[in-house]
Amino acid sequence: MAKQYEIPIGAQHISLLEPLHFKFTTENEKIVNTEANVFYVHRGIEQACVTKFKFRQVSFVVGRVCGLCSISHSTAYSQVAEKLLKIDIPIRAKYLRMLVIELDRIHSHLLCLSHVAENSGFEALFMKTMQYREFSMELLEAVCGNRIQYDFAIVGGVSRDLKPEVGQTILKRLKTFMPQLEEIVDIFKTNWTLSLKNKGAGIINKEMVYRLNAVGPFARAAGVPIDVRNETEDLLPWKEVGFEVVTETSGDVYARNLVRLKELYVSIRIIENIINGLPESALITETKAFPEGEATVRLEAPRGELFYYAKGNKTQVLERLKIKAPTFSNVAAMRAAFEGNEYASAPAIIASYDPCLSCTAR
Amino acid sequence: MKLASYRKKSPWILHYNAGGCNGCDIEILACLGPKYDIERFGMINTGNPKQSDILLVTGPVTKRSRERLVEIYAQMPEPKVVISCGACASTGGVFRGMYNCEGGIDQYIPVDVYVCGCGTRPEQIIDGVVQALGILEKKTKELEESVRLKKEAVNEGKQLNRRNIADEIKPLLS
Amino acid sequence: MKKIETTLENLKKDIGAFYKEDLHHFMVMNAVETGDKMEIQWFFSDYAHPCETTCFFAMITPDEEVPSIKDIVLSSWVAEAELVDLMNIKIENTQKGFVLEPDFETGPLRKNK
Repeated sequence: MAKQYEIPIGAQHISLLEPLHFKFTTENEKIVNTEANVFYVHRGIEQACVTKFKFRQVSFVVGRVCGLCSISHSTAYSQVAEKLLKIDIPIRAKYLRMLVIELDRIHSHLLCLSHVAENSGFEALFMKTMQYREFSMELLEAVCGNRIQYDFAIVGGVSRDLKPEVGQTILKRLKTFMPQLEEIVDIFKTNWTLSLKNKGAGIINKEMVYRLNAVGPFARAAGVPIDVRNETEDLLPWKEVGFEVVTETSGDVYARNLVRLKELYVSIRIIENIINGLPESALITETKAFPEGEATVRLEAPRGELFYYAKGNKTQVLERLKIKAPTFSNVAAMRAAFEGNEYASAPAIIASYDPCLSCTAR
Repeated sequence: MKLASYRKKSPWILHYNAGGCNGCDIEILACLGPKYDIERFGMINTGNPKQSDILLVTGPVTKRSRERLVEIYAQMPEPKVVISCGACASTGGVFRGMYNCEGGIDQYIPVDVYVCGCGTRPEQIIDGVVQALGILEKKTKELEESVRLKKEAVNEGKQLNRRNIADEIKPLLS
Repeated sequence: MKKIETTLENLKKDIGAFYKEDLHHFMVMNAVETGDKMEIQWFFSDYAHPCETTCFFAMITPDEEVPSIKDIVLSSWVAEAELVDLMNIKIENTQKGFVLEPDFETGPLRKNK
């Protein structure tokens, strides 16, 4: 047996956006064991949601759980609160929620892809992807009024309407984005230098995904079709707007990149369908009821399955709110996928997980 | 090589997330991207505290990240400027009063520029960084200014030299 | 959501009989305080379409030790470590200090500490 060394990454590191600490045990540069410390950003939002804030205010608070998928959090919370209030929301509000979730998915996936490129040492591709990503931020600002932290979904519906001219702008900008996306896909698929860092790195296979209960693009890259949009349709009509599940088979960093790129095509198709067939109705269902009973909601965030559990007791303040973020499910699988890889490819593998620790820790 | 003259024009930034929601962090990343491009001010993002001049902090300070924050600040060489990005880094924001949050980074390290907003827009971050450049220059001047020049001139009659001092303290030592 | 009541003694047997790796997906553990008792919940969903959420729950008193399901569901250690810190309960083979600092006041989510 060769001598083993322990090498840490984090909590502050150039390749990490957030405080995350991995301790690798390496043997001849190969990682044999990993320890993860993911709770640097635990703030205590669950407790504040059931003590400090009323149930209508909570949808703005849970948006602050994560800046990347804040719309997924506020939508999931709104849905679980609507289940407790036993109301149904107008059809236009449902479509607008889906529109913003998909726009958010475009910006989140492009950010992740650019981050993978940067951590693989391909600075030019990072710049290119960041440049192409800006259009989605501008569209989100046009739809919701802010670049991040949209506060779009509220209990009972949505807070803003989509103006027809904004809808036309979205369609126009998506058309100009299509050739840019083709260009990025071409680079990610065929660039030889990038493939050296990405192909065969951080492999996780189908059995491990099932055993460790991974979710999101991480699981879909291994060939497991886990997608909440595919499984439930009672809250948001995903199949109606042309959703298809995307999978790859090899389960390495390259496959995760491809899954994200292919999902961008699906998202673009969904957005086009939503804008072309947006139904007319009210935006919000008013009610004076109080939350009662318990309910659960699952929603597909950009990183995977988001789960909300809420319990009400007929007062303004909820009794219990439980948030399960996608990365929380992936922590166990993330540790397993490092094994047998070289330490030098660890930053690229971390970026390809697309970890969201502020979601995980709350 | 005149290292100081290069340093004046290209401060390097260090980014640390002390428990925020990622929103301001991705806006800092967008600033490094082509559209907002703060590299035109000579800045690059560096991961090493010992090479950086400007510390960009986001997020309310959580209990687990506060020691790391102070440690990173202590490792940076003088002169240094701290920018707090976003409402929660400046005051605690929506997280103020939660059980694992401290509410604002200025309880732990001195802050020079506060950038408001939840989340901050890239334009605001650039504005804050440009303000920080001015502060950095001022701090550099203060450091470089010689203390000896500010002191009053010594009269000739009272001038001491080292030998006289040695003679004076000799009886005291023995 | 399908709720199945179980007890701490039968928990491993019940979940072991229910859980199939390629059919069911373990989501998260949760605890809700109801008076003096505490309700511990294990959430599962399945990969079928349309999917169904199954919830196993057991009522315990806060100082009872809950058996761990790590040997049935491998990835459940994250959820268990989180619940130990936040709710201040005892779970078999689980240490404190994963979520909160070791010197932290225990159980911030408990209402009557």
